[in-house]
Amino acid sequence: MIVNLTPTEEQQLVEDSIRGLLAGKLPVDRLRESHSHGGAAERAIWNDLAELGLFGLGLAEERGGIGYGLPEEVIVAKALGAHLASPSIIAQMIAVHLADDATRPALMSGEARAAFVNAFDGGAHLIDGEGATHAVVVGQGGVALVAIDTLGTAEPVELIDETVAVAKVSTSASLSGGAEAERLSLLLATYMAGLAGATRDMAVEYAQTREQFGQPIGAFQAIKHQCADLALRAAGAETQCYHTAVTFGRGNDDGVEVACARLLAGEAALANAKQNIQIHGGMGFTAECDAHLFLKRSHLISMLGTSKAEVRKRILA
Amino acid sequence: MKIIDSAELDAFREEVRDWLADNVPKDPRPHDGAAMRDFDLAWQRRQYDGGWAGISWPKEYGGRGASVLETLIWHEEYARANGPVSGSMFVALSHAGPTLINSGNEAQKQRYLPAILKGEENWCQGFSEPSAGSDLSALKCRAVIDGDHLVVNGTKIWTTYGHLAKQQELLVRTDPDLPRHKGISWVICDMETPGVEVRPIKAMSGLTHFAQTFYDDVRIPLSNVVGEVNGGWKVAMTTLGFERGTGTVPHQIELSKRTDDMIAEAKAKGLLDDATGADLATLKAEVAALRSLTVAQISRGMSEAVPGAEGNIVALQFAELTRRVNGYALELFGPAALERGGHPDYPLEYLECFKWGIGGGTNEIRRNAIGERVLGLPKGPSAR
Repeated sequence: MIVNLTPTEEQQLVEDSIRGLLAGKLPVDRLRESHSHGGAAERAIWNDLAELGLFGLGLAEERGGIGYGLPEEVIVAKALGAHLASPSIIAQMIAVHLADDATRPALMSGEARAAFVNAFDGGAHLIDGEGATHAVVVGQGGVALVAIDTLGTAEPVELIDETVAVAKVSTSASLSGGAEAERLSLLLATYMAGLAGATRDMAVEYAQTREQFGQPIGAFQAIKHQCADLALRAAGAETQCYHTAVTFGRGNDDGVEVACARLLAGEAALANAKQNIQIHGGMGFTAECDAHLFLKRSHLISMLGTSKAEVRKRILA
Repeated sequence: MKIIDSAELDAFREEVRDWLADNVPKDPRPHDGAAMRDFDLAWQRRQYDGGWAGISWPKEYGGRGASVLETLIWHEEYARANGPVSGSMFVALSHAGPTLINSGNEAQKQRYLPAILKGEENWCQGFSEPSAGSDLSALKCRAVIDGDHLVVNGTKIWTTYGHLAKQQELLVRTDPDLPRHKGISWVICDMETPGVEVRPIKAMSGLTHFAQTFYDDVRIPLSNVVGEVNGGWKVAMTTLGFERGTGTVPHQIELSKRTDDMIAEAKAKGLLDDATGADLATLKAEVAALRSLTVAQISRGMSEAVPGAEGNIVALQFAELTRRVNGYALELFGPAALERGGHPDYPLEYLECFKWGIGGGTNEIRRNAIGERVLGLPKGPSAR
């Protein structure tokens, strides 16, 4: 098996179109205004996302999908991470794979909408659930798609990441592992690789322009070498996600590969977010600089579904 | 991003696998000295006789002229078959040879390339000096033109296998009045030339893999200059860091095996708990990332004529990870792992792996290169 990780022309097109849409409609600085929080900005372009083919991108044509695969889906997931897009978009991408024939068309067209429920020991969080008709429940056992009205009463709660709207709910959905659970885990990993790449770019841009002692701070090795570390972590996480996507189902131990991607991307997202804040100095500590948003989102997504302890167990299985 | 499926390449892989299964030396490779050199040369000759030497080198100089994909397959299968490291042939095969292919004249190619591939001559590198390491262009080793010869005086250091090599790629200063990058020449120095003195240096591992070389009025024919007189910096830079990633494959596969073995041994010995599990899972994930980064570098090599500075990311990941993995084995397996001479010899592997991240570009120089040439940060004084 020979793997080529350079994007094909078609994959480049997929990337260009999603990036074009996100740059215009979901710039990161939208989150400075609270009316864009909770997935509001995403709901406003839900039809555009459906028209772009996001919901069903990696679904086989005979099941009504676009007929691409995991590589194209991870390209999208990474772009979503870089823009701090609502996790609900990933939930919807997964929902079409989980749905039965009766439900799938409405999810693909965007008429029905999905949101994540993170089920953990002692509770469950519904994330950006406004207007959702379905919940993609994730937890230790895997994943399940359920109707939103199966969840108990929603009670709003504020998490570390104030840019998402969260409600405490209850669920008795029975979760299952398998290929779709792995797909979800890989998409979340790649979303986090997108976070790591965005903070690398943010730190580098700041290091190029911020001047102290009469020169850009990026000329100093103390900063330059930190930026190199940001690049190293982002590259490791991203290429592991891409490699896993391309080789999925081709004889590697997919469970181990996905778990490696998940662990690396989670650590890269968090470490890069912290270092980006540090490189931004005083500005990095303020609410008006976007650096803190990446830190908060890294914590949120790395806790979604499979726990770190479980991820490690799978790697060593 | 795709899988390349090809019956032709599968057949090629089969052929490589069969040949390696029949020919990879069964005897262990000596660690040191002339016995090691002779082992390396004999293995090179065997590959030549089998038609596999210089897998990607042009056919007219004795190479196989294989494509990038075939080269990749060769390296993968070579590592899987536990093929020996190129060792004292490394500079000849991975550096001097490619430099001659790129920048040598026809006479130089005919004279030196087949001798490398047939295992007749190995090479060493005379680049670093006691006061020109990371700052290579500060080199002072002087060469003066005298008729049709260069007369060389000075010293070189960290000459890997200098005491065991036949030829040397030598950087000398031919014009001290020109700007520092412009007055340098790349010359071929026969190590048996009168006036060349080699003093081996023992490394921290106890192995003697490198040397300091002294030049006292050493006369080298001008015809041994590769490229132009005073054009040596360009010649050196064309191949320094000219890494398609395929060369990293054996190291990466070896490190991956080592990590899996360590995890298996930890399980067998009942050493796997939450703390060691966390450490080992991270190491295994980082090794997987190294594999993916290597594949990405090779993928770029398929489409770019001269690979960019991203190779530094792969090299840095490998250098730091190999130290972590080898260091962790010592911690994990306790006092017995400190014993020398076992299989694996943990202390030897551990001590030796410090060379990665120093030789061929320190981790710090690589971070500069990533910062400046990959990320576009302002250049510092070390830029080259």
